[in-house]
Amino acid sequence: MIQRLLPFLSLIVLFTALAVASPHFLTTTNLSSVVRQTAVINIMGLGMTIIIISNGIDLSVGSILAMAGLLGTMAMERGLPIWAGIAVGLLTGLFWGFVNGILITRLNIAPFIVTLGTLGIIRGLALIISNGLPVHKIPAAFSFLGEGNLLGVPFVLWLLILCALLMHFILEHTRLGRYAFAIGSNREAAIYAGIPVAFHTTAVYAIGGMLTGLAGMIEASRLMTGQPTAGQGYELQAIAAVVIGGGSLHGGEGSVSGTLIGAFIMGLLSNGSDLLGVSPYLQQAIIGAVIILAVAVDELRKRRLA
Amino acid sequence: MLWQGREVFLDSPARAASIGIAMVHQESLLAPHLSVAENLFLGREEGGRFGYVSRRRMLERAARLIEEHRFPLQADWRVGKLSPAGKQLVEICRAILHGSSLLIFDEPTSALSSAETEEVFRIVRTLRARNVGVIYITHRLEELRAIGDQVTILRDGCTVHSGPLRELDTGRIIQHMVGREVSAIYHRESFPAGEELLRVEGLGREPELRGIRFVLRAGEIAGLAGLVGAGRTELCRALFGVDPIDSGRVLIGGREVAIRSPKQAVAAGLALVTEDRQRTGLAVGLPVAYNLTMANLRAVSRAGVLDHAAERRVTAEYISRLRIRAASDRQPVGRLSGGNQQKVAIAKWLFRNARVFLFDEPTRGIDIGAKIEVFELMHELARCGAAVLMVSSEISELLQVADRILVMRQGRLRTELPRQTTPEEILRYAALEDHT
Repeated sequence: MIQRLLPFLSLIVLFTALAVASPHFLTTTNLSSVVRQTAVINIMGLGMTIIIISNGIDLSVGSILAMAGLLGTMAMERGLPIWAGIAVGLLTGLFWGFVNGILITRLNIAPFIVTLGTLGIIRGLALIISNGLPVHKIPAAFSFLGEGNLLGVPFVLWLLILCALLMHFILEHTRLGRYAFAIGSNREAAIYAGIPVAFHTTAVYAIGGMLTGLAGMIEASRLMTGQPTAGQGYELQAIAAVVIGGGSLHGGEGSVSGTLIGAFIMGLLSNGSDLLGVSPYLQQAIIGAVIILAVAVDELRKRRLA
Repeated sequence: MLWQGREVFLDSPARAASIGIAMVHQESLLAPHLSVAENLFLGREEGGRFGYVSRRRMLERAARLIEEHRFPLQADWRVGKLSPAGKQLVEICRAILHGSSLLIFDEPTSALSSAETEEVFRIVRTLRARNVGVIYITHRLEELRAIGDQVTILRDGCTVHSGPLRELDTGRIIQHMVGREVSAIYHRESFPAGEELLRVEGLGREPELRGIRFVLRAGEIAGLAGLVGAGRTELCRALFGVDPIDSGRVLIGGREVAIRSPKQAVAAGLALVTEDRQRTGLAVGLPVAYNLTMANLRAVSRAGVLDHAAERRVTAEYISRLRIRAASDRQPVGRLSGGNQQKVAIAKWLFRNARVFLFDEPTRGIDIGAKIEVFELMHELARCGAAVLMVSSEISELLQVADRILVMRQGRLRTELPRQTTPEEILRYAALEDHT
């Protein structure tokens, strides 16, 4: 039981340690900025959670994020209202997630390969569409999405809470979520039980894509640009968040709370390093070590149970 | 254990190989991406120092060996492209190359055609002529006559007979295999058979199934007997839509159904309790409750949203009805005993309200108590008007449970026997080429 709570306890310990070590840590400004910085990875991580639970992987989320941010801001540039621009971003994410799902289930190719391919395709298309240039002419009010406050806390925190609750509901209270666990735990057995495996696998990627689309709009709002080069390497951070939080790359395991904890641990590590003046080079190494440590501890727990 | 007059202690296949004992495995243990020659020399590559492998020298030696024994192989063929028979030949070749003086064959022909079987026999005879000893394990009795000199019959891990083959006629061999006493652990009454639930007409799937034809009625349990490789599991898979059929029709409740996937099979009212629980029957990492409702999740959800209370109710009901011993309905199925896992696998289909149940080796790996419970479940299913097809390699089991017994041999349904039949009779049809 203690080991199951270990990621959460680590987060608390890390939080407390940083509060003691740096006087700048426990300030509204700093905590707000941690939330804003991690919101993007957090929301992508939520989508990655259901994908990984179904024994899949999506390496193309970084590219999807860029494409969504780009098309969303381009729509606003062309005069569409802000809400419509955001909708364009979400639909872009949904579309590419759907494409990934269709390719994986129809061509029967491993998700790793398919999304490695679409990672390149989507990024390339984003660069072609934008001619490699960022979109700048965005209505000023759009910055509210990523930078605004509602009831004294960052608006993205409300969004994150909403997405987390939704994903938790999907995973624990819907057939889709249950099927994701079944497919991830034993795809063969799921097929033999008559579960429409292809349909639900596709749905899982589509949902992951849509959340990535939202993350793309938040990223665009924070930077106030639509960058075709945004989100490079984000896929690995999203996967890391799921894995630190107890998700298994063998499928059938993972949770919303775990992923949130994983993303916040990484966010706090990088924020704390900044505050304490640790070199950004070392930061990367520390986060890498934490990923291995988290998975090692989790493996140990499972082996003890087996 | 004595070997060439001296006592030996063998604790690994490598030790056995070093004194000249080699085994030809039923399932090939070759590296599919390498050539025949490379596989032959695997582990003892020809060549110089520093891991340098002389491909040319290896190919030459392999080619010479293949030539000498007239194997229908080429040294540079890729093993992955060979037929099962070709792979067996490579294994035999490897054993010869390594100078083995005793070769053990484990059911080598279960996956081979009759021409390929002849080829294996020819090589076995050549080996015998070269003073290589051969232990040949088989269920197929005519194969014994074709190549055997001595015969040893094992039953339940004990030697029941050992001696020259010509002193035994086939009837005696079957008697030894079956044993006199068929331990009756279970007895059930038949129900009067009701309406026709499943009709299979001329079902075929090349090369493993041909012209299968039978009928299952409500309230009956039909046994399906046959040797390893006879096509029993393949028949279950074909009926359940895992492997699509090439020919024939399947009717359920009098209506023709086209089943091309397990999803369609489940929708048509079929259930398959698979041979391999871990791989195809259960999601062992997930809770008992998840597995139990997996095939019928719609019944405990509305508009895509799960009704957890209903699920818990259903799970509790089946756990108590089937006496599934689990710590809780949240316990991962993988932590239950084999018998309790099997009960969950069956409960999944009970909850689905399937009408035609296919049980593939339902008692494999479960203890005797659980076995009887599984039989009782099948009986209960029959009583409630379901039709049951039970595959089992244990003939005594079929005789205790089934109302009649279908016997398969080499992809065909050989005959249908009443429940009063004898194990000898079943084996005769299952193991002999021509029944006279």
